Amino acid sequence: MQKFWNDQVSWGLAGIYLLGAIAVLAVVIVFVTYAIYFERKVIGWMQYRRGPNRTGPLGLLQTVADVAKLLIKEDTIPAKADKALFILAPALAFVPSFLVLAIIPYGLNLQFADLNVGFLYYVALSGITTIAIVIGGWSSNNKYALLGGMRSAAQMISYEVPLVLSVVGIAMMTESLNLRDIVIHQEGYFWHWNFIPQIIGFAVFVVAAISELNRTPFDLPEAESELVAGYHVEYSGFRFAFFMLTEYIYVYAIACLATILFLGGWNPPIPQLDFIPGLLWFALKFAFIVFFLFWIRATLPRLRVDQLMGMAWKVLLPLAIANIFLTALGIEWWG
Amino acid sequence: MFNFNIEFNGEFFAFFLLAVCAIVGAVLAINFTKVVHTALSLAFTFVSLAGIYVLLEAEFVAFVQVLIYVGAVTILMIFGIMMTKHQDEGKERTRPLLEGLAAVGCICLFGILFYAIRSASFPEPADKLPADNTMSLGKLLYSAYAIPFELVSVLLTVAFIGAVALAKREPEEKEGGPS
Repeated sequence: MQKFWNDQVSWGLAGIYLLGAIAVLAVVIVFVTYAIYFERKVIGWMQYRRGPNRTGPLGLLQTVADVAKLLIKEDTIPAKADKALFILAPALAFVPSFLVLAIIPYGLNLQFADLNVGFLYYVALSGITTIAIVIGGWSSNNKYALLGGMRSAAQMISYEVPLVLSVVGIAMMTESLNLRDIVIHQEGYFWHWNFIPQIIGFAVFVVAAISELNRTPFDLPEAESELVAGYHVEYSGFRFAFFMLTEYIYVYAIACLATILFLGGWNPPIPQLDFIPGLLWFALKFAFIVFFLFWIRATLPRLRVDQLMGMAWKVLLPLAIANIFLTALGIEWWG
Repeated sequence: MFNFNIEFNGEFFAFFLLAVCAIVGAVLAINFTKVVHTALSLAFTFVSLAGIYVLLEAEFVAFVQVLIYVGAVTILMIFGIMMTKHQDEGKERTRPLLEGLAAVGCICLFGILFYAIRSASFPEPADKLPADNTMSLGKLLYSAYAIPFELVSVLLTVAFIGAVALAKREPEEKEGGPS
């Protein structure tokens, strides 16, 4: 980190950092556009429908059209809303989600910030988004929005605990929290990847991560049948688009983290295949995780509110703690 | 005392920005009348302080600060505020004499702090910071400071169980009551 501070400040350096940030933003926006398209297509196929197929060839421009519609829509602010916070909330939700992407290593030398706390950085910043969601719900001055925001915050705080604890096992095996070191530690055949020795941790991580993302089966904050649409009922136009963008950027971040922490990052499944560039392996595993998330969304029904908290505290948390003890025993016995 | 020598490197700009943000957050927290706004500006101060920790190469402390103070404490405060009714956020009447005295006190405190900081010398630490400071922090916590660490965790568990016990008792009293 220190190298950033000691540089003399010049427009050139600022320009380089700005270009890097814009490049990530472009990649993420392309990802989000086609993730939404892909999600609608996959769910369409699973439900024996065609999905979007009218706008552009194969419906490829559907999301672009949707976003354009959101951008030119009238921007409404409820008369009784807390205006300043209502405007602030979408930005406050988006900024941390984008900052999270700074630490993700896509390849051995393709990373923006090499931070030695790695995963902790993600968890810390995603907490700020939770505040934004509560604030968005509260400032709308709407019962449904407030309830949605409250549910969302309670859920995200509860599931953060097993999410962090499920990764402790990996930190113990790698003896580091640095994401790059974690990937380097998984070099070799695919049974050296963390998801086999840490299978309990992986299971807890996946469940807690889906819940953190507020996706089905844990999408109670947006349960249409109980709350009108969750914390963003009163939002329209580009403010609503920002909340949606935030949600999908977190899908991107979680898929990247699952790839790095459990599926060996840019390592090929067998070392003989390393003539294929690491970025491609990373993209393949990443795409698999994203598909998995959509698959679950199309398959599973939603949990009830009273089952949700019990799941986090009575099932996932003990499992994650048991995983830590088992990992400690494993390291003690087999080195 | 006033011979500032400022190097215009990244550290200076980052420190300046974060310091201003922290102060602005703190001042706004005092001045806002709505409680939710106060809680948010406090969160803003916490984040700025975390940034200063990063500047001091204490990444672990910085992100734990964000995780605990912003992710948990602020949300808990906001939750508490939203659960309670608070229509009566009326204005307190101003007391000019008290405010004047407070201002004089503040200026004195600032003078003392400024003098102390400017006249203090900051010697270079004997040995350099370890490269992976998170790891050395963890090692110290589980070797030299293991017993205090465990004691603190026991204390936290006791407080936690106490909170659960207090929260659990309420409905039983209601059932026994006249309603």
